[in-house]
Amino acid sequence: MISPGSRVVFRKEVTDNLRDRRTLAAALLYPLLGPAMIVLMIVSIGQLTKESEKPLKLPVAGPENAPNLIAFLEQHNVEVEESPEDPERAVRMGELDVVLILPEEFGEAFANGDPAPIRLVVDESRNAAMQAVRRARSLLSAYSQQIGALRLQARGVDPRIIDALAIELADVSTPQSQAARILSMAPYLILVSLFVGGMYLAIDSTAGERERGSLEPLLINPVSRSQLVAGKAAAVLLFTGVALVETLLGFAIILNYVPMERYIGVRMQLTPEALLSILLLCLPLMVFVVALQLMIASYTKSFKEAQNYISLMLLVPALPALIMAVLPIKESLWIVLLPTVGQQLFINQVLRGEPLTAANVALSSVVTLAAGLALLALVVRQYRREGILFH
Amino acid sequence: MIELVDVKKSFGDVHALDGVSFKAEDGKITGLLGPNGAGKTTALRILYTVAQQDSGYARIDGFDTREAPREVQKRIGVLPDTHGLYPRLTSRENIAYFGRLHGLEGEELERNIDELMALLDMEEIADRRTEGFSTGQRIKVAIARALVQKPTNVLLDEPTSGLDVPSTRAMRAFIRRLSDQGACVLFSSHIMQEVSALCDHIVVMAHGRVVADGTADELREATGKSSLEDAFVAVIGTEEGLS
Repeated sequence: MISPGSRVVFRKEVTDNLRDRRTLAAALLYPLLGPAMIVLMIVSIGQLTKESEKPLKLPVAGPENAPNLIAFLEQHNVEVEESPEDPERAVRMGELDVVLILPEEFGEAFANGDPAPIRLVVDESRNAAMQAVRRARSLLSAYSQQIGALRLQARGVDPRIIDALAIELADVSTPQSQAARILSMAPYLILVSLFVGGMYLAIDSTAGERERGSLEPLLINPVSRSQLVAGKAAAVLLFTGVALVETLLGFAIILNYVPMERYIGVRMQLTPEALLSILLLCLPLMVFVVALQLMIASYTKSFKEAQNYISLMLLVPALPALIMAVLPIKESLWIVLLPTVGQQLFINQVLRGEPLTAANVALSSVVTLAAGLALLALVVRQYRREGILFH
Repeated sequence: MIELVDVKKSFGDVHALDGVSFKAEDGKITGLLGPNGAGKTTALRILYTVAQQDSGYARIDGFDTREAPREVQKRIGVLPDTHGLYPRLTSRENIAYFGRLHGLEGEELERNIDELMALLDMEEIADRRTEGFSTGQRIKVAIARALVQKPTNVLLDEPTSGLDVPSTRAMRAFIRRLSDQGACVLFSSHIMQEVSALCDHIVVMAHGRVVADGTADELREATGKSSLEDAFVAVIGTEEGLS
């Protein structure tokens, strides 16, 4: 199967492309993006969750006007700070998230049982400040309700009379479920690295070879066209494989070694067995992707044209994810038989620790591999046509 | 030995070759002369196996290009119409790649490469990447990689095109040397002076046909012209496309 001709072609393509910055970036740097993205998202979610546990720093102007309110705030995890000279300017400039102003007439109005005026200076257009604003508002309205209830009681009225509705908000989202949502992007990211890893090499060794004018001399050597294609395909496979392994190791490292429980309160794990299953699930898909790229590159006229089409192929793994976001698709036979779709489902199941249906996995792998080999046969046929040189 | 027998080839309605026959003998330099578009490149491409004729035969040392392409490829060294290099590989690596595809390796490969580099006076560019090479430097690498396996048949498509005067002279000396060593050399050109100065045997093509075939003397005799240039113009029917 591995002829000397293929070996020579393979070795040359690898040496040649190791010197190409674009190929190297695609094979070595790009695969790290997926895991890096996931780490960033998890860390930022963790930070958001933690924010609500940290004391709220609240600058207050005129705290001496409402000592009871200040005491209430301090009891509820608020650090009261001194307000700047011009609170509105400070908030507008984004230096402060929120400032509370307690005017002098507060005490008198409060004592008389009138609505006591307070001002909350906020900038509604700043999303980053909203968390602090929301907390300050809800604390203030809690205080307001508490005092109101006491006043009603003092007058012999049941405070509940002003609550026409009893609203209970049940937020069931947990850090775990948010993390799981982020992790469900992992199968897509794994597939993208599979599409990107050997992309430039596939283009360079086919459309690029023709564009440089080096294909004609190459074809005159005593090596069959199928051996040439085999050597090139093997080189593209190698780069694709490196990218895939790199992405998987990246995920393994972030899941197993980044102390994620610090951020999202839960540990996720990728066992060596799970890692291996994902790798095995991807092997037939690698052949399919490489063959698809070589075929596109052998039918296109120039490096640029091939690059356009092959970049479009990056959307292929995204499609099932997009469709599934709109239409709930359950695992069914015809779905898993689609290359890239089936693998995404399976990888997702492995990541969630769900059992795989062995028959479906086997069928999907066989179909994907067969499709890849058929595409490779098409590439060889294309190389045998004299039109490969003169479109 | 290189041989075409009644070869026809069309691209759509265009008859690129309309029954072309000629022979190129071992130890001789055969020149394929003709204006641009005469069918020289198509004839060479059929001989070096990247194009296929509609009818007729093309043989190298008796091997049919369609039936035994691998045997043919082992016996030819070619400077094809397009001869791009791999810009990220050095001259030596470019040459070694084709040598390995011919099954050469180790010391033999290195020895052949060094010999060719000395002959083509290209030691200075041996270990430089070919990106940014001049036309002359690129042709030298392309010739060296075509000949690294020491082929007995050499096909060169316009080997002096784009070369300056000293490089052209060096190329002609190199071609003569190949023939002196017993190789069968077939090269195409549209430069009359070059063909007449270099060739033992001249095949003149026009409009997909061989319009004259013989030594310089035979051509002069057949046309009744005293100068070879006039003889060429007489057989082709026009000066257009020649220089």
